[in-house]
Amino acid sequence: MKRAYCILSAAVISWALLVTNGVFAADTPLGLPPLIVPLDNQITVAKVELGEKLFEDTRFSTTGEVSCATCHDSNSGFTDSPKVVSEGIHQLTGTRNAPTVINAAYMKHQFWDGREPDLESQSAQPFLNPVEMGLTSHEPILDVIRDDRTYRRMVRRAFSIDPDDVTMDHVQKAIASFERTIISGNSPFDRYRYGGDDTAMSEAAIRGLVVFEDDGRCVSCHTISQSFALFTDGKFHNLNVSFDSISEGVENLVQAYSERRAAGTDVDVDVLTEADVSELGRFAVTGEWTEIGAFKTSTLRNIEVTQPYMHDGSQATLEDVVDFYNNGGAVNEGDQINDFLSSGIRPLDLTDQQKLDLVEFMKALTSPEYASSDIAQ
Amino acid sequence: MSGILNRRSLLRGSLAGITASCLPLSLVKLSFGATAPAKDFTFAFISDSHIQHVGGNEFVRNWDRGLIRAVAECNLMSPKPDFVVYGGDIAQLALPQEIDHGLELMSRLNYKTYYVMGEHDFYLDMGEYWEKQLGPQWYSFDHKGVHFVVLNSVLTYDSWVNKWASGTERMGVMAGLDDPRGSPFMVGEEQRRWLAKDLAAVDKSTPIVVLSHSPIQKIFKNWNFWTEDAEEIQALLSPFENATVLYGHVHQIQYNQIGNITFHSAMATAWPWPYPESYAQADNALPVLTVPMNRADPFFERDATGWQFVDVWSGKASVSYSLPQNTSRTVAYDFEAGRPVDTKYPQSLLPPQDHY
Amino acid sequence: MKHNLTLSLILSVFFFHSTPAAVADEFTQDDIDVWQAEYMAVVQKGRDLFTDPTLGNSENGVVCAQCHPNGANTHPETYPKFQKQIGRVIGLWEMVNWCLRNPLEAEPIDAASPDMTAIIAYMAHERRGVALEPGKH
Repeated sequence: MKRAYCILSAAVISWALLVTNGVFAADTPLGLPPLIVPLDNQITVAKVELGEKLFEDTRFSTTGEVSCATCHDSNSGFTDSPKVVSEGIHQLTGTRNAPTVINAAYMKHQFWDGREPDLESQSAQPFLNPVEMGLTSHEPILDVIRDDRTYRRMVRRAFSIDPDDVTMDHVQKAIASFERTIISGNSPFDRYRYGGDDTAMSEAAIRGLVVFEDDGRCVSCHTISQSFALFTDGKFHNLNVSFDSISEGVENLVQAYSERRAAGTDVDVDVLTEADVSELGRFAVTGEWTEIGAFKTSTLRNIEVTQPYMHDGSQATLEDVVDFYNNGGAVNEGDQINDFLSSGIRPLDLTDQQKLDLVEFMKALTSPEYASSDIAQ
Repeated sequence: MSGILNRRSLLRGSLAGITASCLPLSLVKLSFGATAPAKDFTFAFISDSHIQHVGGNEFVRNWDRGLIRAVAECNLMSPKPDFVVYGGDIAQLALPQEIDHGLELMSRLNYKTYYVMGEHDFYLDMGEYWEKQLGPQWYSFDHKGVHFVVLNSVLTYDSWVNKWASGTERMGVMAGLDDPRGSPFMVGEEQRRWLAKDLAAVDKSTPIVVLSHSPIQKIFKNWNFWTEDAEEIQALLSPFENATVLYGHVHQIQYNQIGNITFHSAMATAWPWPYPESYAQADNALPVLTVPMNRADPFFERDATGWQFVDVWSGKASVSYSLPQNTSRTVAYDFEAGRPVDTKYPQSLLPPQDHY
Repeated sequence: MKHNLTLSLILSVFFFHSTPAAVADEFTQDDIDVWQAEYMAVVQKGRDLFTDPTLGNSENGVVCAQCHPNGANTHPETYPKFQKQIGRVIGLWEMVNWCLRNPLEAEPIDAASPDMTAIIAYMAHERRGVALEPGKH
């Protein structure tokens, strides 16, 4: 469904959030562009409060123990760091590492493989996934809302409807509105690059920024623009992460999954429950050969507190990640490189000092509100 | 690519919707009416990999990756193609190690491959090593009622060939597309005589497909998008009802119709070239019919590169181009209009994609 | 003092009468020919670098002319411009350095160096006659 978007001016955001308890930033954070909000889902305090409650509600799972916040915990950079892959009901594991909600509002695609186009549509999926919340339909969610006095009041306030008429569309809009307030900039890097403060980053981080933009060529995909930095190009790339698990017989896997797509299959369920299908990346969503094994470029904001890394959490530390890229997309030098590797990935020949500095730079991308996370690096 | 219309097209991955069922109805009716379906077939066309030796065991990574990807994707085709044609310029400086490394990468293809000579395979030793590995420089073969002719269309004047101090120097000059010291391509008299004899034995209703590196047209002399004896070759093809020329060398999508002959170019797996109109100091004769590819994005290494497969039915060819992270394109023969037409871009691309 | 002033006044009147009037930035056709030759020498140097496999100590020997025959598709007339992929406004020299670092797997060249001037001169010369359109994507 095509959404009409408008750029929400800082003034409107300020007004909308004026009556809160002061947690949210009233202006566009330093280093971020103005947030684009769909015309049919303007942010209001009432929607945000409802969305937050829905986000944290564990009743929307078969065991009554799993909510969005289970895997997207505000104390862990809105991920479930340090979990490698997420755990849903009955501690069932999926195949993928939980991406952060922080600044997800700026993404053009949601999920590692971009299978949903926006926050609204993404929010509905985990409820129905057998290894996440495990529901077989969204009805139980609406039942809970209709029977809960607090929810009834909040729904009425947020949407001016009779709470008995609540639909998943309302639920999705509320959750998305809440997530649109989970944006953060103003990191040491932002203050250095956009705030004109030459002392905002350490010497090592400043050297690391040079590596990031020059020898490391990281900016090719983790973009830094003239007046803001999203640190992601929003595109999908095959980095050779864990592709060796499907290299043998990839032709059969591609053929088999193409047939399943043709017959109609639930990609959301497949990619989280079947490890080999998960490794196909965006190909599972689009069927495009050029997207075999390709995953969305992550933002690097707050990356220090959202370990481990990559779509399957297979890289534990930022040092591991830097080594991986330095090797040209290989955990160990000389590892097999798959045929579908994204162009531009190649050995970097960084010095040890450059590698250390690069890690220091990435640590400078943590926003102050998440800097005191209880995750140790 | 959206608008998936049938199961067969789906199994071609990103080239979904390219098959007969997606073409204008007139084409479908005519194609099924004109020939028995069993004679329709598909072959893949990979070209211009320019495997370039750096030193030791090292080759330019970028060009290697382009060929590796084309081969890997071609292996995913379902249904399988009948065979593969390699359009020329597998090497960059015709070094044996380059030819060998290219053939090694091509060996991962699961299909029989026919090779065409390119100038980058030839001018170091006048094709001696290439011949040793791959056989005759020009030949013909038949497949399901279609007569295929492979030409070495990158020959040139003997006087030019002989004036260089070494094969290396000669190859170096010819390797520069825009080098003013180069010399125009041609098929040459010997091959024209052979071709005339070869075609004399073929019924005029048999579809002919010529596989050539240079365009068998005169498009842009500055960059050797040129065949000096194009008219003579075209004359040899003109008696045939259905003649198609498939060529490499230009690293971009081109297509044309001259009389009864349809021309299609192949993309390179290595790198794209600008269209001749991008050079402000010379005129060019790019076929008016051609809707150009979008202007290549240098930040995406594989942009505007790729490979293609060719569907042959009713003696005509339609070429489907697999373009990375881009809309796939098909240039199909429009029986009503009597010329090739891009099924996606009937007129032109929108700005700012234009070359300028 | 007054004596010197008078003297210089007389002298200047004398000189103005007896020599042709001095014109700022005076040059002759010979000068132009010399300068044009200098310019073309730099353009030629740029062409040489454009086809030099050791440019920037390239690791792979790829040259600019492989993808840009006759400098085509470099669009010098559009710079400076917002280079979408770099995310900010850049001059042509930065794009040259981007190419050096990426497809040519080489080291960037100093913007102020004669080599950079030569490369830019070559591209501009091959694009002569095309109207300036700075900022054009």
